[in-house]
Amino acid sequence: MIDVWTLVRFVHIVGAALWVGGQLTISLAVLPPVRTLLGPDRRVSVLRSVGRRFAVITMAVFLPSQLATGLLLAWHNGVTWQSLTEAGYGRLLLAKLALFALVMVAASVHGIAQGRGRAWLARAAATAALTGSLGVLLLATGLTAG
Amino acid sequence: MSEPLDLRPPGRPPRGFKGPFIAWGNLLVLAWLAVAVLLFAVHRELGLPVWLPLHAFLLGSLTNAIVVWSMHFVVALCRVPSPSPRRMGFGLGALNVSVLLVLLGVGTGVHWVAGTGAAGITVLATVHAIHLLRLRRHALTGGYGYLVGYYAAAAVALAIGGTLGGALTAGGMGLYARLLPAHAHLNLFGWLGLSVLGTLFTLWPTALRTRMPADSMRLARRVLPLLLAGLAAMTAGFVLASAWTVLAGLVAYAIAAGVSLAPFELAMLRQRPRRPAPWMLAAASFWFVAAVLIEAGLLLGAGKPDAPAMVVGDLLPVLVVGFGAQILTGALTQLLPVVLGRGPAEHKRVAAVLGRAWQVRVIGGNVAAVLVAVDLPTPLPSLGWVLAAICFGAFVLLAMSVTVPVVVRGALPASNHGGATTIGIAVGLAATVGAVLLGAGGAPGSPEPSSAAPVRTVQVELAEMRIDPPVVRVPPGTRLMLRVVNNGAAPHDLRLANGARTDRLGSGDSELLDAGVIDGTVDGWCTITGHRAAGMTMTIRPAGDGRAGPEGIDPAARPGPGWRPRDAALPPADAGTLHRVELRVSETELELAPGHRQRRWTFGGTTPGPTLRGEVGDRFEITLVNDGSLGHGVDFHAGALAPEEPMRTIAPGERLVYRFTARRAGAWLYHCSATPMSQHIANGMYGAVIIDPPRLPPVDREYLLVGAQLYAGEPGSDPQVAKIDAGAPDGWQFNGTAGQYVHAPLAARAGERVRFWVVNAGPGGTLSFHVVGGQFDTVYREGAWALRPGADGGAQTLGLAPAQGGFAELTFPEPGRYPFVDHDMRHAEGGARGFVDVVP
Ligand SMILES: [Cu+2]
Repeated sequence: MIDVWTLVRFVHIVGAALWVGGQLTISLAVLPPVRTLLGPDRRVSVLRSVGRRFAVITMAVFLPSQLATGLLLAWHNGVTWQSLTEAGYGRLLLAKLALFALVMVAASVHGIAQGRGRAWLARAAATAALTGSLGVLLLATGLTAG
Repeated sequence: MSEPLDLRPPGRPPRGFKGPFIAWGNLLVLAWLAVAVLLFAVHRELGLPVWLPLHAFLLGSLTNAIVVWSMHFVVALCRVPSPSPRRMGFGLGALNVSVLLVLLGVGTGVHWVAGTGAAGITVLATVHAIHLLRLRRHALTGGYGYLVGYYAAAAVALAIGGTLGGALTAGGMGLYARLLPAHAHLNLFGWLGLSVLGTLFTLWPTALRTRMPADSMRLARRVLPLLLAGLAAMTAGFVLASAWTVLAGLVAYAIAAGVSLAPFELAMLRQRPRRPAPWMLAAASFWFVAAVLIEAGLLLGAGKPDAPAMVVGDLLPVLVVGFGAQILTGALTQLLPVVLGRGPAEHKRVAAVLGRAWQVRVIGGNVAAVLVAVDLPTPLPSLGWVLAAICFGAFVLLAMSVTVPVVVRGALPASNHGGATTIGIAVGLAATVGAVLLGAGGAPGSPEPSSAAPVRTVQVELAEMRIDPPVVRVPPGTRLMLRVVNNGAAPHDLRLANGARTDRLGSGDSELLDAGVIDGTVDGWCTITGHRAAGMTMTIRPAGDGRAGPEGIDPAARPGPGWRPRDAALPPADAGTLHRVELRVSETELELAPGHRQRRWTFGGTTPGPTLRGEVGDRFEITLVNDGSLGHGVDFHAGALAPEEPMRTIAPGERLVYRFTARRAGAWLYHCSATPMSQHIANGMYGAVIIDPPRLPPVDREYLLVGAQLYAGEPGSDPQVAKIDAGAPDGWQFNGTAGQYVHAPLAARAGERVRFWVVNAGPGGTLSFHVVGGQFDTVYREGAWALRPGADGGAQTLGLAPAQGGFAELTFPEPGRYPFVDHDMRHAEGGARGFVDVVP
């Protein structure tokens, strides 16, 4: 049945897909040619600008939209603080939130490390964030199945 | 004398592989190590036995490492031709398929799969040994020839140890407790230990960057026989259950290992190197010798024949974390740079990656080894495993980050990002796995406790390869709590098919397990590899289909392995008139109901005790010897005498002679005369004396059935005494085992005259002996003929109060299966029944 909640769910899922898809596109489609085609100085400035843009979009669009739709969905599903600890839907949601928080931490570490020129750490944090985001999607799939 | 080490990869890179063969081999090593670390982290949540991560590490990672590197060293140092990459690839492939089969077979509980894998490993190890010994003939430079000896001996140990391992997965042929330690020691001290010790003679000097001491090769050659003798003694000692032989073997092995390692450890202390590999090798060697010494100490301290099996569990964590994981990381830290890098610059790059945070990892790894080795309170050992997983898992990631590019692209990555992607993916995956476990955990778990369900607690004992009771029956809808006690020497656990499970319980440990609300049959078993196959299984059944006491006595259950029915046939009296018998009181474990073994108090090791038979006027001289741990006595109803002296209770170790003359015929009871007599009789201390009435006509067959009540539980324990006092037995039995002649029917032919002697030993309750489908034409009870052939009437039962006896005779009219019962049907359903199979 299509109602207003279908729309909220749609926005939530599309937001997640776009965000993870954006990360994948940057790391798999944008970064490799940038590395091979551009000289060292231009490479750094291009990467920095791509990273900053994605961070801004994340903060301005994705994060608010995901939080808002997520809270609405949780309220609609009757999630309470106490039910978060109970086995089943609540616990799964809690796990997803925890993993999402870790992904956010990794993304921030990536941004900071990139800014300070610590390439190794930036790269490790970026891959960790990307892998973790896929894990968030996995848990979200588990939630909709239930 | 000393030679520069040449560690060039043997052979050209084969077609199809981009990287050198040895890089592929090491990728396998690292992959197995990663699998092992991952399994260690999640096996508990997934309900997998700890055996799996252990063998993923020992059998997957270390075995691949030994095969790859021993071949490499032999080829490089002994200057023998390298086997073709195709052949090595095939061998390595077959090895890994075998390892996978073993892990899958054990993981899924399919023994023949595990057995096939074990057989594959044994065959490959044998081929490996033969191949090495044949290479020795080609070895031109004699100096390093000793290596072949070490590696070949190690491979032989693996061949034997692997065979034993295969046998263990199928239950160990009844010798589980002996084969397990033999298997573990052959593989750990033989396959792993000999390979490592042999390699260290050359690896140490390289790691320390010194020249090889001139006499170290001679030392290596001299020490090998002592190592092998020690290993052989350990193995023989375990198989023969001789703790002293094991100890001798351990001491010999420890001396040999100590002598061969000491020079290097000393050199290490003098030099204080700044690189990771020597520290890891030194720490690993220390733990190796420490493990051997700890085991010797434990054995000396325990001094019990069953100690070896117990020791294995204590030793394994030290060997896995302290020695195995550290020696592997140390050796790879030293060796991988040369294999993966082309030229000194690349060597340095690889070494830099492998050395990341090595001080932290070495300290962490050794702290972890201490935490898992020493018997510490609960959270600390788990913390040790986590720490070990982090330290060695980090090494896997670092090593992977340089090995994978070499294998895939044939070269190290151009940039200096080595490891960032791998580590990032690993961290993300670890977080995801953690989150999934957190989210999914507890969802399907044990059934919600319903306040309405009545709760019942039953004690379950785990002992050597047995779960007692094997069948627990509770009314449907009961919430069952199992108090699980490990009374064996080795660790055990209990897992139920509904997901409930205990921790791994050490000797003497216990745990209260919520088995949930019982609505259907639930199987239970010990998850330790091979234990289920060896017979550690149980079943929880909803009661209602048959009768069962609260102890889970089920007369319809199958008897345990090795059970022999008591022969009910009664032989005629021997010719003499003086009968001398020695009755030794002993406390023995017997099967008092099918599959339910329990300690019993006995005359002569059986219940009932030996049957005495004679004629009126015969003299009996019985020597009672008390080999038990309590006071016992004996009372023969067949004789009449002043009871004070002959019926007195004698202390353990004492003996007394009991003489009587049989003045009167009858089927008489004898029983223990110690108080409280109800307990002594209920626990099995009774037997029969048959004094034939004069001119007793011969018959075709004579059987003797001594009936008794069955009281399960520890003899003399409060719950058992309460049941005896209340006259509420757990079952009934003929000749000491409930339902035994259901499983081993008596025999007769149609038309034959069969005489059943019956005695009711009690301690309470009546016995009403009846043969379904038969009629008695002769009944003799309590010294009188109640019925003789030729009379018009017949008899349907032979009724006996406690301590009464007699016989009844009948001829079976036609072939068939005739049940015989105590016609108090509660007794029959509780085990006082059997069959006579009548053939034409
Ligand atoms: Cu007694």
